[in-house]
Amino acid sequence: MKATGLNQDLLRAAVEEFPADEFSAARSSAVAKLAGVGFPTVGDEDWKYTNLGLAAEISNGWLKTIIANHGAIAEQSNSEQVAMICQEIDAHWIIIQNGIIASDSLAELDGQAGSGISLSKLEFADKDDADDDAMSLFNVALLRDGLRITARANATTDKPIGILLADSPSSAVTQTRIVIDVGDNAHLRVVEYNLSVDPGRQFTNSVVQANLASGATVDHVRIQNRADDHVGVNKVTVNLDRDASYNHNSFDLGGALTRNDVITKIAGKGAAVNLNGLYLATGTQHIDNHTSILHLVGPSTSEEEYRGILAGSSQCVFNGKVIVSPGADGTDSRQSNHNLLLSDRAEIDTKPELEIYADDVKCAHGATVGQLDETALFYLRTRGLGMDEARKMITRAFAAGTLSTLAVTECQDHLAKVLDQRLDNLIGDGQ
Amino acid sequence: MLEVKNLKASIVGKEILSGLNLSVAAGEVHAIMGPNGSGKSTLAQVIAGQTDYEVTDGSVEFLGKDLLELETEERAREGIFLGFQYPVEIPGVNNAYLLKAAVNAKRKHHGLSEIDAFEFLKLAREKMAMLGMDQSFLNRGVNEGFSGGEKKRNEILQMAMLEPLLAILDETDSGLDIDALKAVANGVNSLRDPERAIVLVTHYQRLLDYIEPDYVHVLSGGRIVRSGDKSLALELEERGYEWVREAANA
Ligand SMILES: Nc1ncnc2c1ncn2[C@@H]1O[C@H](COP(=O)(O)OP(=O)(O)O)[C@@H](O)[C@H]1O
Ligand SMILES: [Mg+2]
Repeated sequence: MKATGLNQDLLRAAVEEFPADEFSAARSSAVAKLAGVGFPTVGDEDWKYTNLGLAAEISNGWLKTIIANHGAIAEQSNSEQVAMICQEIDAHWIIIQNGIIASDSLAELDGQAGSGISLSKLEFADKDDADDDAMSLFNVALLRDGLRITARANATTDKPIGILLADSPSSAVTQTRIVIDVGDNAHLRVVEYNLSVDPGRQFTNSVVQANLASGATVDHVRIQNRADDHVGVNKVTVNLDRDASYNHNSFDLGGALTRNDVITKIAGKGAAVNLNGLYLATGTQHIDNHTSILHLVGPSTSEEEYRGILAGSSQCVFNGKVIVSPGADGTDSRQSNHNLLLSDRAEIDTKPELEIYADDVKCAHGATVGQLDETALFYLRTRGLGMDEARKMITRAFAAGTLSTLAVTECQDHLAKVLDQRLDNLIGDGQ
Repeated sequence: MLEVKNLKASIVGKEILSGLNLSVAAGEVHAIMGPNGSGKSTLAQVIAGQTDYEVTDGSVEFLGKDLLELETEERAREGIFLGFQYPVEIPGVNNAYLLKAAVNAKRKHHGLSEIDAFEFLKLAREKMAMLGMDQSFLNRGVNEGFSGGEKKRNEILQMAMLEPLLAILDETDSGLDIDALKAVANGVNSLRDPERAIVLVTHYQRLLDYIEPDYVHVLSGGRIVRSGDKSLALELEERGYEWVREAANA
């Protein structure tokens, strides 16, 4: 069987149709670099379990439309869901629709989100130059817009900055690019919400880059609540200087296929990375979390806990890479991945990947895969709880652990609500 | 209230209960005693609906209903409570949350409205005070990290909140120090009521000093081999289980 690949000719032709703008040079350069590379395939070790064939198929179809429409991208209207999320999570919201920032939301917010915090359209500077992996290049190759958040030294926000990626299949392929620069001792809290405003097939590819100066803190909550047909590839790259800390909570609830890469680099002593994730999958959903923590120096710490609840015939992947560089003594790293399988057709592939090149290092990791405890279910039922209620109670408790580490508490109520709705689906599909 | 007739039950093909008969009426307190492995917990679990055990013969009626036809949760809502010999730890499930869900499941079954948060807390605090339990137990995971005695008190707390018609308490006295034993006995005695029946499963007669039974049964080899009043418990204490076993075989 021949897997669908990205059609490079279509890509080149479509990009040529794009109107000239500040990203033109970057786009051309990315198209050139991507030639001969293409999307990763299951032959690549890092993509062993995740097939981007559908992403390529959607892309090729969309590129044809772009060529036919001479580069015009369909407009998209606001939705009730957007309004609801903005209301339920108290944040300074920026709406990005199919990769294009709603300019009024940006203008309103710049200077309002806190003193020392500025929000602007991304100018593609050299230092933000794309990583040269295929999906980062693809992101730049089709880039139309981008967001830059800058926090000056010591800046803080009164409430989190919300970034709502409100995507719709009206544009079947969407690139989003966000760069976050946080100055010395500044503290930035960000909620990134990945939403499908309409059902239907869509492929989104997003890149978030964060640079944390000395003593800076970023709390980053990412909520992925995409439609059933959605294909999403998301990459977060974080660089940490001395004493900086990055706290990440991701919640993957929807989508047909989701691939997340969270890549953190600890380049300064005393820095700390906390990665927490929860993924809920049912039906034929596929969710792949790849994380990488690079300890370039020590002492430094990383703590990671991902939890998964899988029902139906879903398939999930957790791959946790920790690299301790030579000389990074005093590295303290802990990683765990726990999975609850509600169905015997669901599948989890979990793998820690430790590469340790320093001596004075503490690295612990553990993974578990289990089912609902029958004895616990029986116990709850002897107290009068119905089977589904008992299953839900135990499942919810399993998920709740990831809420207790939530760095942006403004999301708590909304998350509890959407998690609950999602758990109902999973329990219903369980057996 | 409870009529167990010729009950036979087995697990993994091994017969544990071999034709057990037991009749419990409202207002009564029964004690079931017997050596380890005689099938006491099996009886309790079968009545509660544990499907690991296969019922191969006999019948169990509760208030005239065929109990074996009901799901575990339906039995609970109808008024059966099992205090576990080994209460189950359920990490992350809040104790108060479970208590409230349990109370409401039962209320709903009987066509009553849900209990409100204030009323619930007031009731829970009252019962906890009676059992000498710290309020902090409400906010902990169900039995999570509880000591043996704390788990047993928690069972009694659940029972007190649910106000069952039939409470079966499986070795609720084991592993308790004297203060805990008194607190638990106090909790059980407070529930004694002409409408209610209590079945105490115990290995020792110690508990019966605090909760006085109307009837004492001895279970041996999967059957009740002897029944009597509370003096039977004292006799057992003196003469040991060998005595009934021999008597049963004789
Ligand atoms: N899950 C099980 N698998 C196999 N045998 C069991 C199981 N549970 C109980 N038994 C056996 O059933 C018998 C009765 O056990 P139990 O009812 O717990 O006795 P008691 O409560 O009187 O000590 C024992 O021989 C015990 O080993
Ligand atoms: Mg027992």
